[in-house]
Amino acid sequence: MTEEGSWKQLFCHGDHMSEAYWGLEQNLKTTPLYKVHNDNRAKLVPFAGYYLPIQYENGIIAEHNHTRNSVSIFDVSHMGQIKISGPMIYDAMEKILPISFSKIAPGQIKYTQFLNNEGKIIDDLMICRTFEEDHVWLVVNADCTPKDLDHLYNNLNKTYKIELIEDRALIALQGPNSSNILKTFFQEIDDMPFMTADWFNYNNEKFFISRCGYTGEDGFEISIKDRYAEKFINELLQCEGVKLAGLGARNSLRMEAGLCLYGNDISSSVSPIEAGLKWSIPKERIENGGFIGHEPIKKDLENGVERKLVGIKPLGKLPAREGTQIFDKNEKTIGEITSGGYSPSLQTPIAMGYINSDILKSECEVLLNVRGNLIPAEITSLPFVEHKYFRGNK
Amino acid sequence: MAEIYFTKDHEWIKVEDNIGVVGITAYASEQLGDIVFVELPEEGITAEIGKDIAVVESVKAASEVYSPVSGTIIKSNEDLNSTPEIVNEDPVGKGWFYEIEISNNDELSGLMSEEEYQKHIGD
Repeated sequence: MTEEGSWKQLFCHGDHMSEAYWGLEQNLKTTPLYKVHNDNRAKLVPFAGYYLPIQYENGIIAEHNHTRNSVSIFDVSHMGQIKISGPMIYDAMEKILPISFSKIAPGQIKYTQFLNNEGKIIDDLMICRTFEEDHVWLVVNADCTPKDLDHLYNNLNKTYKIELIEDRALIALQGPNSSNILKTFFQEIDDMPFMTADWFNYNNEKFFISRCGYTGEDGFEISIKDRYAEKFINELLQCEGVKLAGLGARNSLRMEAGLCLYGNDISSSVSPIEAGLKWSIPKERIENGGFIGHEPIKKDLENGVERKLVGIKPLGKLPAREGTQIFDKNEKTIGEITSGGYSPSLQTPIAMGYINSDILKSECEVLLNVRGNLIPAEITSLPFVEHKYFRGNK
Repeated sequence: MAEIYFTKDHEWIKVEDNIGVVGITAYASEQLGDIVFVELPEEGITAEIGKDIAVVESVKAASEVYSPVSGTIIKSNEDLNSTPEIVNEDPVGKGWFYEIEISNNDELSGLMSEEEYQKHIGD
């Protein structure tokens, strides 16, 4: 038996392998929560240069469902936390990112993308306009961190200080009960709306807490000093209903939420317009430009794009994974799946992928070529499972 | 009395006379995690030793299953269509994949005993 697909490495790196072996052999980094993972019997796998849990004892489906119904902790310390400071920081960042600081209140977070000159996506990220006016705080994808830093160095002059924060862990607390749990530590977080962030103190440690996440649920991302991460996680785990969840559940949750994964659904050959991320670019930025990649993006919007990211529901039970070709009823290739798997919430297979735009106008039934079997599938809108973000007590 | 053999790729086969029942090992099912679909071979088709004959889909990934022996598929475990999770629950029992009429019993000598297999996964 052998595995196909992107999770290829998972099978052979079973937990019978000595932990030290893989760590040394592949020069993998560990996160400050490595001991917590081992204590909780995680199945650790190499991921983005780190040794991370794909799942814990209960398995992906149980962890997924627990997140949707209660609250889970995810170690996302591998992600890049970057602080950029300098004079007129907002003007400088607006030349690099298609966002408008005039429309971002202090304490607000925006989802955006670094674009190249061709208007394609170098990385997608979260940027926070902190309450301090001299810097911004970014969270970027682990794999992309080096090229993101290059991009920043190449496009910001030397008066700007670009710091990769390497002494802070990042923990995501996700699920409908996450606020109830976290407010026992930080009372004020209860009223924080989705996509805002602030600093908090607890036991003389400074926590940078953002109300956001990548599961479609209400939740928080908590940035804390490495030295304090293990202690804090163990305190969270003492709270009723809090469980750990791994990368496997994180992937099935974000797919159900229709959120793009860099390297799968978006890449340096995809424009944000193709990926359905137009909503993340303010109108006035498209009209007035002044950011890297503006011209091609504007053209994409004027002329339309040749392919678009859509939701795909394979009919039946067979999951269709990334790389699966999408056919029209005459078996002509009209697209490709970029993320696909099983949805524990819907108990059916789900997928995301690109389809030729002209097809989308007429057909909504297509065929998926899964190992030579032609599986009928429906094109749907995203997300598959409704988002439940906390928009504030209005 | 049925005898059980294993492959290095984590399939098992229980053999009685020239009929074998094939599945994946507990170790394999544990490594794969939650199994959500099994693509089984059709009855009557010919299996070749070492060639892919079935596919297991877990939440994580798709994995091919190779036939431990050559022969003709007599029966597939239809219970797996509605309840694929029994492969996780009882991999070497109710979670069997298919029954095969073995064309050449000599092929069995190339497979591992239970003890050899345990050593193989313990390495």
